[in-house]
Amino acid sequence: MISCRNLTRRYGDFTAVDNLNLEVSAGGICAFLGPNGAGKSTTVKMLTGLLPPSSGTVQVCGLDAAANPLALKRLIGVLPEDLGLFDDLTVEEHLLLTGAVYGLDRRETHRRTSQLLHALSLEHGRHTFASSCSHGMRKKTSFAMALLPNPRVLLLDEPFEAVDPVTSRIMRDLLQSVARRGVTVFLTSHILSVAEEISTQVVMIRKGKIVWNSPPDELPRSLEAHYFELVESPVVEELEWLGSSPS
Amino acid sequence: MARLVAILRALARAFQRGEKSFGSLAGNNFFLVAVLFLGKAGTFLFLIMGLVVLFPLSTDPLRKIPASRLALWPLERREYWLLRAVSPWVNPMTWVIAALALWAAHGSVTVGLWALAAGLFAAGFAISELPLPSGSALWRRVPHFPGPLDQLMRKNLREMLSTLDFYCALLLSLSMSAYRIAGLALPAEAFMAMTVLVVVALSSYAQCLFGLDGAGGLSRYRLLPVRGWQILAAKDAAFLLIVVVLVAPLAPLAGIGAALVALAMGRRSSVEDPRPQTRWRFSAGTSPIYGVVEVMVMASAASAIFFTSALVLAPCVAAWLGSLWWYGRRLEQGMLS
Repeated sequence: MISCRNLTRRYGDFTAVDNLNLEVSAGGICAFLGPNGAGKSTTVKMLTGLLPPSSGTVQVCGLDAAANPLALKRLIGVLPEDLGLFDDLTVEEHLLLTGAVYGLDRRETHRRTSQLLHALSLEHGRHTFASSCSHGMRKKTSFAMALLPNPRVLLLDEPFEAVDPVTSRIMRDLLQSVARRGVTVFLTSHILSVAEEISTQVVMIRKGKIVWNSPPDELPRSLEAHYFELVESPVVEELEWLGSSPS
Repeated sequence: MARLVAILRALARAFQRGEKSFGSLAGNNFFLVAVLFLGKAGTFLFLIMGLVVLFPLSTDPLRKIPASRLALWPLERREYWLLRAVSPWVNPMTWVIAALALWAAHGSVTVGLWALAAGLFAAGFAISELPLPSGSALWRRVPHFPGPLDQLMRKNLREMLSTLDFYCALLLSLSMSAYRIAGLALPAEAFMAMTVLVVVALSSYAQCLFGLDGAGGLSRYRLLPVRGWQILAAKDAAFLLIVVVLVAPLAPLAGIGAALVALAMGRRSSVEDPRPQTRWRFSAGTSPIYGVVEVMVMASAASAIFFTSALVLAPCVAAWLGSLWWYGRRLEQGMLS
């Protein structure tokens, strides 16, 4: 369902994504992990057709992402890094807009909107403008927008960050449920425990290169331990001035 | 004092990097027209009043510091007010306006008038201290539009209603409507001239149609499965609706012609050089020279429609449609980069 061949993206001299090869099958949940600046969001942008690759190809749902951006947009649901919300629309209006531009009829749009607002505990804030929403509410709204058109592929950039534990549970259940029905999920995350729990494929990236790609049960140790070893290990520096008397 | 100097230094650096305030006034078409007309009339008092009120409302360097951060810094009250008083001078535009005021005064202004100007200046910054409403909450109920882009058009309408350009245009339209309602005799040309002024007041916004969408909004546009021209048409619909309502009691066809010209001419900067805007401020256009040219073309189109024939509207519509098609494509291409 998702296929990247020698995918590369350069910004001047800097190579953000370097010769990336990746396959994600239909119904799979791929957790794409890596530190900040590793190239995760750049990869997501290329998968959504928002960023043309410098070289290599990306195919999503059998479509070349760079050549057919409009056709691709109709098939995918995206939670972008910056959430992609308009300050001047309410939570509910965002969902109604999504239904309309994806060609759903009014009744179906309202039905799905009500269900999503209920499922994601957004009912109480449905008339709140995005500019007045908490970060968690904004994230849930963007997540709901990704689900509403019933896409074949979901591309989610850090969906679990800044959401409360209950909503995080609901989101995980929803993702596993849609994956069982054949929807492909590609997500980036820094929350390794969640990635380990729901993914069917773990991909780790460092400095634009894939350093690990396997199902989670093929990891030689816990995901966290393996991540620290392959991607980056935490270095705790002693800041001796912290806690000393102020000068 | 060291704290204050450090903050002012950082402010000056941030201001130089993201300098938009000169453009905010110098690029605002209504400001340009106001300066040209009032300066020529030699009406110093109106000029200075206009400038001192317009300026603080449109630019305030201290807003570069997030309010939450400013509140967290260990500043004493005295230091805060000192910062409040000194920070405007970080903006070169303050010096320009001060020089302009001194030049215009030319020794003919009494101490009382100077005190009035200083008072207005201070009041302007006091207004700037007030917390800004998000804009949208005020305009919860805006009309619905037919078609799938209904919510986009409503959003665009709310954005326009949270700029000072709209209220400036509204005041002009209401004042002229009052003349009409009162039955006072005015030459027909006066209505045409005021129509041009109303559209001029709104025209800078036509150069920055995506200015209030923010990074998130621009990102969403890229993800929506709609064509570039549809996104632009949704923007134009909101702009034209406001123009039609405001010029309806004046010279409607001339106003629509001028608005179509403003949209067509503002398209390049809107699409290829989107400038972020601030709510409850005047819109910042591209440059004073471009603004003057735009105002002249708008005024010519409106005059031609008003004095010759409504058929002159046809080339205005053609220019608008052409810009919609061309920049719709550019928008789609730009979305990929």
